[in-house]
Amino acid sequence: MAGFLSAHGFDPGPTQRPWLAGAISGLLATLPAIALLWAFGSLRVEAQILGISQLQTIGAGLPLMAAGGGVYSRLFGRAANDIRGGWMFGMAFGFALWAGGAVMVLPLASGGLAPAGKPAVGVFCAVVLWGAALGALIPFVHRPLHEDIETGAKHRSVGPSAAVAGSAPNSPQAATALRSSTRSNRSQGKNSASAGRPK
Amino acid sequence: MLRVVAFRKAVLAGAAGAIAWEAALRIAISAGLPFFDIVRELGTLVFPSSGPLFWWPVGLAAHASVGFLWIVFYGYFFWGRFKLPPVLQGLLFAVLPLTLATLLAVPQVRLMHLHARIVHLDAQRLFEPLSWWTLAGLLIGHAIFGATAGSIYSRPVGYRSGHEPPPAGRTARRPHRGVTRKPHDGRSFMFTTGIECSYPTIENGRWRRDQMAATRHYSRWRDDFERAREIGVSHIRYGPPLHLVFTAPGRYSWDIIDEPMRELCEIGPEPIVDLCHFGLPEWLGNFQNAELVSALSEYASAFAARYPQVRLYTPINEMYVCAKNSALHGLWNEQLRNEGAFLTAALNLANASIAMSDSILKARPDALFINSESSEFCQPCCPDPKIQEIADLENDRRFLPLDLIYAHPVSDRIRKRLRDHGLSDGDYDRFMNRKVPRRSVLGVDYYEWNEKLIDSRGNPQALGELFGWYVIATQYWQRYNRVMMHTETNRMDAADAPRWLWRQWHNVQLLRSAGVPIIGFTWYSLTDQVDWDIGISKALGVIFPVGLFDLNRDPRAVGLSYKYLIDTFGSQPEYKRCGPLEEMLG
Repeated sequence: MAGFLSAHGFDPGPTQRPWLAGAISGLLATLPAIALLWAFGSLRVEAQILGISQLQTIGAGLPLMAAGGGVYSRLFGRAANDIRGGWMFGMAFGFALWAGGAVMVLPLASGGLAPAGKPAVGVFCAVVLWGAALGALIPFVHRPLHEDIETGAKHRSVGPSAAVAGSAPNSPQAATALRSSTRSNRSQGKNSASAGRPK
Repeated sequence: MLRVVAFRKAVLAGAAGAIAWEAALRIAISAGLPFFDIVRELGTLVFPSSGPLFWWPVGLAAHASVGFLWIVFYGYFFWGRFKLPPVLQGLLFAVLPLTLATLLAVPQVRLMHLHARIVHLDAQRLFEPLSWWTLAGLLIGHAIFGATAGSIYSRPVGYRSGHEPPPAGRTARRPHRGVTRKPHDGRSFMFTTGIECSYPTIENGRWRRDQMAATRHYSRWRDDFERAREIGVSHIRYGPPLHLVFTAPGRYSWDIIDEPMRELCEIGPEPIVDLCHFGLPEWLGNFQNAELVSALSEYASAFAARYPQVRLYTPINEMYVCAKNSALHGLWNEQLRNEGAFLTAALNLANASIAMSDSILKARPDALFINSESSEFCQPCCPDPKIQEIADLENDRRFLPLDLIYAHPVSDRIRKRLRDHGLSDGDYDRFMNRKVPRRSVLGVDYYEWNEKLIDSRGNPQALGELFGWYVIATQYWQRYNRVMMHTETNRMDAADAPRWLWRQWHNVQLLRSAGVPIIGFTWYSLTDQVDWDIGISKALGVIFPVGLFDLNRDPRAVGLSYKYLIDTFGSQPEYKRCGPLEEMLG
């Protein structure tokens, strides 16, 4: 599985912030999905199944969708950032969520109750639409969140020490170090040319 | 992102698959066979009580959309994974949607048809077994879908020879005003990258590979140049697509490259223009055609007249690799596999390179030529004379095109082969008596597969970095004694690319400190490439992650490393003023 994900873009670039971009996109993508759920009467049915109000159902769904967006963005990394194909990956992810969540989890959580008829159609369409919107949004949401190339290129891990075997800057540890270091540099106003350079 | 997906083909293949399914199953259902009717099931979700005039088009459109999504998925994850004919690949792939349809989609669609708004599901109801007719319908339908779509969705990159590249969609953005660079001062070391631009034909000339199209450079060239400026390179190797520009003798479509060339010349990075990169226009045929010499000379002359600002040229890129892959290994263009064809191609290429240089010099007497060539070396595995002979031949042959353009005597072994091939002493002497332009730079490319071991069966096996660029480049330096430049390198393992970059750079530093005049260093290329892991010999669309940026134009770690390197060394006195370059341009 790790190899599969890696081959399909699991390696985010060192200047990327996939979790944040995915979470924001996941939240934004919820808006059209909620509209669709409401139009099909699915929101009322889901609230009824869960035994809470419609507002509470939306409230419970928002953090879940943000988390879902973050997971998606992290798992699919570079593929999720593709403007041409991102929507498709998102839609596939929405379909997987529908298959694993709406179809399986909801009946399990509610003692076997599940939407049927038109509300079931609404749930399907809403989750797939959410996925498509998520995938379409991420490349645009992510772009302004990227670390700056200027800052990223000042980090020690991409410098001459990278010549030493085993210190590849794309390794998870190095990428984390790069990100935390550039964040720290920014917060301390140390974006000068000397920040992070080997002394 | 692992593969380049042809979306238009995916739309066509997915829709065609769904239509073929519908055509076959509709006939069977009309004949009274109770197969599962997917179009009716989908259409009646929207029009539950209307006639087929309503539900049929809606159901078919919905099913075709699902088909398209599956084929996009197929294009990204599945296509080209197995060495099977496309139709069988599609058939194999269809097992996946068949499984999901059986276990999930069909039961859920039936749930959607219920009049109730909430149902109580138990395991028995959720996994209610489908009838044999339903299963048979799904099986036949998916088989038809897979075979149809698979036969249509193939070769996601490239295009039919003689045609234009498919429309790229997104148009180039305006350049960012903040990231501009002053023109190169002509004195400092050349930190360089390149736009990968190979355009050979495959499938015996029927299919054109075009790296600029596959990497979307045609639509994103402004982004690409801006990214190059962000990294801080002073130069960019840039190869206008010869097959699209030089459309017939005396006819040129300059409009394709006018704007990119203007931007490079005015804003930078300064272009090192690569006039022929592994391919020819259809009307010139292939590298066996001796007429290419005068034709390419004419093109070079016209190019230099059209873009008088350009002063740096690579007349023909990697002549040895071009001749070898076209005429000895049978991968590109003429796709021949014999020594005679190789020698013909090598001679034609060397003649063309010389003629092009002469033409350029007439228009731009101060032009500088960077003759980039793949640096190679073969190490025999054992003291077997036959193995030794193979290695010696390879080690002589690698120099052939450079020997001819640099008027350096070829080895006795190669001389005999040239004579046997029909090269007269007069023609050979013409090469050897040539006055090589003073401003000629030997470009030495180096990759991890350039050093090879001749194994006990006589086959070359890639060795990785055994001796390294320092040693191999030294062999070329000792042979030609010319100003040099490291003109290409990259690493196909993206995670290891920064290590490779720094090690290549340290090789350059060491060779400079040994007194070899080196004027530049190149990470090739700016963006990821496509299918170079198989020498672009097939149109698979597999991304080769060697770029400073990926194909989304997001930086890779090596992009940051290269910027670090340029920022660190570019301002050092010995790189700020590069003596050999000053001397050549002065």
